[in-house]
Amino acid sequence: MIQSIHTSVSSNFLNIQDAYDFVSDPAHGAVDVFIGAVRNHHEGKPVTGITYDIHDELAVKEFQEICLEAQNIWEGIKIYLSHYKGQLNIGGISVIIAVSAAHRAEAFEACRYIIEELKKRAPVWKQEHYELGNSEWLPGHSLMVNAAQLEARLLQEDKKTQKSSGGCGNGTCGCGGRK
Amino acid sequence: MTEIAIHIKLFGAFRKFGDALDFSVPAGSTVAAIKKVMSEFIKSKESTLVFDSVLANDNAVLPDNYIFEADAKLCILPPVCGG
Repeated sequence: MIQSIHTSVSSNFLNIQDAYDFVSDPAHGAVDVFIGAVRNHHEGKPVTGITYDIHDELAVKEFQEICLEAQNIWEGIKIYLSHYKGQLNIGGISVIIAVSAAHRAEAFEACRYIIEELKKRAPVWKQEHYELGNSEWLPGHSLMVNAAQLEARLLQEDKKTQKSSGGCGNGTCGCGGRK
Repeated sequence: MTEIAIHIKLFGAFRKFGDALDFSVPAGSTVAAIKKVMSEFIKSKESTLVFDSVLANDNAVLPDNYIFEADAKLCILPPVCGG
């Protein structure tokens, strides 16, 4: 079976050709590529580089979830997503997302969706380095929101299960106490 | 009261405290209780960051009311900013 999603965390420099080769498909007339690169300034301060810290296992899991969501919205797309882990100088490539599709609209939209979700959900952190040799971890998006949403979703699913099972929860209806 | 051992791998802004923290809490402690212990443990400006962070195991983020009855290996995930 041909794989349609590649996700990874890499300590080797990311390669744009690898991304293109993975998503390239004779049935797809559009390939959209997003490349995240280290810029030399942030909020008026000159930046000399960034160190990326990542929880590898959870990041790859989240990348997979995001890509599957994208495939559910834009059917038939192929996706390559790789994030760099470690230190990069200015211009270094931190992330590559490539999406191929039959037509350009879905390739553009899916690529945008994936990078926006990654920024909010993937366990990745940036430590900026400055000219004086000091450095700072950047603030970000708290996963507390995601945890609360997950809890609410599980509760909702639990309620649906209870409803469909018809159990009373205490065994008085002969359900054996199932909830 | 039974004590359980908690091992927490550190990421992002918590890296300044090393790779991990180890401490004990009473069995039956929740994620919220463990965060409180951790914030007292590190005693610095990052102590408030603990409450904007989530605890996770290697599979999933854990809700604040999750209860630990046995030793646990966890990680703390501060607010994220990838890309």
